[in-house]
Amino acid sequence: MENLSIGFVGNPNCGKTTLFNAYTGANLKVANWPGVTVEKKEGRFKLHDHEYRLVDLPGAYSLTSYTMEEQVTRQYILSDEVDVIIDVADASALERNLYLTLQLIELGKPVILALNMMDIVEKRGMEIDTHRLPEMLGIPVIPVSARRKTGLDILMHAAAHHKGQEESMPLIHHHDSAPKTTSTRHRHQHHKEFAMVYSDGIEDKIDQVMEQLLKQYPGLSNPRWHALKLLENDPEITKAYPLDTPLIDRSYEQDIINEKYEFIGEIIDEVLVNKDKKAAVTDKADGALTHPVWGLPIFLFIMALVFFLTFTIGDWLKGYFELGLEAFSGAVLSGLTFLHVAPPLISLLVDGIIAGVGGILTFLPNIVILFLALAFLEDSGYMARVAYVMDGIMGRLGLSGRSFIPMILGFGCTVPAIMASRALENKRDRFKTMLITPFMSCSARLPIYVLFSQLFFGGYAMLAAYSMYVLGLVVAVLCALIIHLFDKKKAHLTGGSALLIELPEYKAPSAHTIFIYVWEKVKDYLTKAGTTIFIASIFMWFLLNFGPQGYSADMSQTFGSKLGQFIVPFFAPIGLGFWQIVVALIAGISAKEVVVSSCAVLFSVSNLTSPTGMAALTGALSSIGFGPLNAYALMTFSLLYVPCAATLATIKKESESWAWTGFSALFQIAVAWGVTFVVYHLGLLFV
Amino acid sequence: MEKTLQEGAPGSLLKVRGARLPLELERRLQALGMTPGCPIRVLRKKKHGAMIVKLRGSRFALGSAIASRIIVEEA
Repeated sequence: MENLSIGFVGNPNCGKTTLFNAYTGANLKVANWPGVTVEKKEGRFKLHDHEYRLVDLPGAYSLTSYTMEEQVTRQYILSDEVDVIIDVADASALERNLYLTLQLIELGKPVILALNMMDIVEKRGMEIDTHRLPEMLGIPVIPVSARRKTGLDILMHAAAHHKGQEESMPLIHHHDSAPKTTSTRHRHQHHKEFAMVYSDGIEDKIDQVMEQLLKQYPGLSNPRWHALKLLENDPEITKAYPLDTPLIDRSYEQDIINEKYEFIGEIIDEVLVNKDKKAAVTDKADGALTHPVWGLPIFLFIMALVFFLTFTIGDWLKGYFELGLEAFSGAVLSGLTFLHVAPPLISLLVDGIIAGVGGILTFLPNIVILFLALAFLEDSGYMARVAYVMDGIMGRLGLSGRSFIPMILGFGCTVPAIMASRALENKRDRFKTMLITPFMSCSARLPIYVLFSQLFFGGYAMLAAYSMYVLGLVVAVLCALIIHLFDKKKAHLTGGSALLIELPEYKAPSAHTIFIYVWEKVKDYLTKAGTTIFIASIFMWFLLNFGPQGYSADMSQTFGSKLGQFIVPFFAPIGLGFWQIVVALIAGISAKEVVVSSCAVLFSVSNLTSPTGMAALTGALSSIGFGPLNAYALMTFSLLYVPCAATLATIKKESESWAWTGFSALFQIAVAWGVTFVVYHLGLLFV
Repeated sequence: MEKTLQEGAPGSLLKVRGARLPLELERRLQALGMTPGCPIRVLRKKKHGAMIVKLRGSRFALGSAIASRIIVEEA
C-alpha cells in the first residue's frame, strides 16, 4: 500500500468541490489552515494498491501572494506535504483556466490537468483536442465529469504514475507558427524543457537572475520559478531571497502575464474547435434573471419562496419530530420513576437535558430545508447574479453588490457568512459588511421565532416570523446607510461600485454536492446540540434549581432568579422586564437556540413544541404578564443582539482585533435595545 | 478622445487597450485575462450601473468604478 498526497487546485466555479466530493463523499475532515480562517477540506480513500489523501485547496485564479487564499495555496503546493497536484479546469472556460495551469506547471511539482465539465463542452458543440493539449502543456490531461462521475479512476491512476516526476518531460512543441520563434537567438533550447517559454528579452533576464540566485542560494529548488517571481516583484519571494546585485530594473509582471495569455491564445487556437458556440441556456436564463427591471423582483420572489418552504414544509415535518420526542421523554420519566431515581436527578435528565437538547432537535427540519435552498442557489450559479442585481442598491449604501453574498449566507449561519466577507477586496467594505451581517437572521434564531410566534400569533405566526427576516434586513441596510453618510473617507475608487465577480454558467445543481453541503450543516447543528446546548442546558438547570440554600424547588430562590432580577431594570423599558427572559437571553449568547432550550428549562416544560407543551408554556408566560407584544419584543431583541459566541470568535479571527470585536458586540446590543424600544413602544400605542 | 468600457453599448464587441486602476486591481483583472488587445463583449448594462461582460469565454460583472477606468477601442 503506497500513500499519495494530492492537492486539488482550480479556479472558483470550476467544479473542483464536486470532483473532490465524488472521491471522498461525505467522509471528510473540515478544519482551517493553520493561522488563517480559510477552510481546509481533507479526505482519504483507497483505490487499487494506493491510499490517497486528497486536500481541497481554496479556489484561486492565480498564484500571486495578493490574497490569503492564494498564499495558502502556493505555500501548500511548495511544501513537501503534497506529492501530486491535480489542476481542475472548467473545460467550457478553458482559456481562462489555463492561466492557473501555466503557473502551476512553473511551480515544478508534478501536475495533472483534469478537464472537468466535458459533458457541457460536448453539449455546446465544442470539441477539445485532448491529444494536442497535453503535448503543448507537457503534462497529462484527463477528461472527467465530476457530475456524471466519469474518468475518476483514470485520473487517480494518472496521479499515482505521475508522482515523483519533478521536471516535466521534454516537449514536442513549437511556439507560434510565425517565423519569430524559429529565428530565436536564445542560447538555450528552452522549448525542449519548458511548456511556457517567454520572449528572448525575458528569457535572458530569467537566466541572469537564475545564475545569481544559484550563486547566492546554492541548492535552491526550482530556480526558474524563483527567478520569475523576483522579476514579477512578488513581495513574499523578494523578501525571502534578496539579490545582492541590482539585476531587476522594473517589475516584469505585466509582460509575464501578457506572454502567458499569448501562449494560451496559441493553445486555444490549436486545441479548441468551434469556440464561438453560444452558451444558449445561460444567455436565456440571464435574460430574465439579470434583467434591468425584472431582476430585482425575481430575486425577492426567490427569497420569499425559500422562506415559505422553510416554514411550511419544515413545520409539517417538525410535527413528527415532536411526537417522537414526547414519547421518548414520557418513557424516560416513567422508567426513572419506576426505578425510584432521586427526584433531582430525574429533573436534571428530563427537565434539563431532554427538554433543552430535545427541544432544539425538533427544529432540524426547518434548518435542513433552509440550507437545501441556499445550497441550491449557490450550486446553480445564481448567487453571483445576486451580486450584480443588488449592486445598484448596495452602491447607495457605499458597498458593492458583492457584500450582499455574505448577507444572504447570513440567513443560514453567521459564521461562514462572516468568513465569506473575505472575498471583498476593500478592507473598509469588509469591516462594514462584517458589522451588518450578524443582523441577517440566521437559522439558530429560527427556533425562537417559530416557538414564540406559534405561541402568541396563531394564524399570523408565519407572518410574524417572516417579519423578523425583513426587519433584520432593514436594520442592516439602515446601519450601512448611516455608516456611509458619516463615513468621511469614501471608497478608494470613486464614481460607482468596484464590483468584480465571475458569473459562472448556470448548471443543474449536483445532488451529491448539495447533499454534502447540507449534511455538513446538519452535522454542525447536531454537534452544537450535543455540546454547547447540552452544557448550557445543564448549567441552566443548575442555576434554576440551586440557590444560596442549596437545591430548591422554589425557582424564585435560585441563583438564576437572583442574577436575572439584578439585570431586569435594563430590559424593563423594552418590554422584557422578566427575570426568566433575561436569564434566557444571557444564556443565548452561547448559541441563540439556547434562548428556546432555556425557556424549556426555566418553565419546566419538557416537550416545548408539542401542543401540550405550548399550552403549558403559554400558561406560565401569561401568569407573569408576558403577552404577544412582549413576545414580539423578545423576537426583535433576539434577532439583533450579540451574535453567538462562535460568531464573536470568527469576527475576532477575521478582524484580528479584540477592540473591533468588542465594538461590534456593543454596537449590536445598542442597536437591539434601540430597535426593540421603538418596536415595543409603537406596539403599546395599538394594544 | 479615448473610450472607456463604461461607454460601451450592450451587445457591442470591443478590444481592451489598458486600464487606469490601482496596481493590485489591474493585476487581478489581467490574471482573469483582461490583457491589452483582448476582445471583450458587453452583454448587459444597467443605466449608470454595473455591467456584464464576456471575456475569454467567461462572464464577469463589473461595477462602474472599474468599467469607467478600462480603456477600450472598437474591435
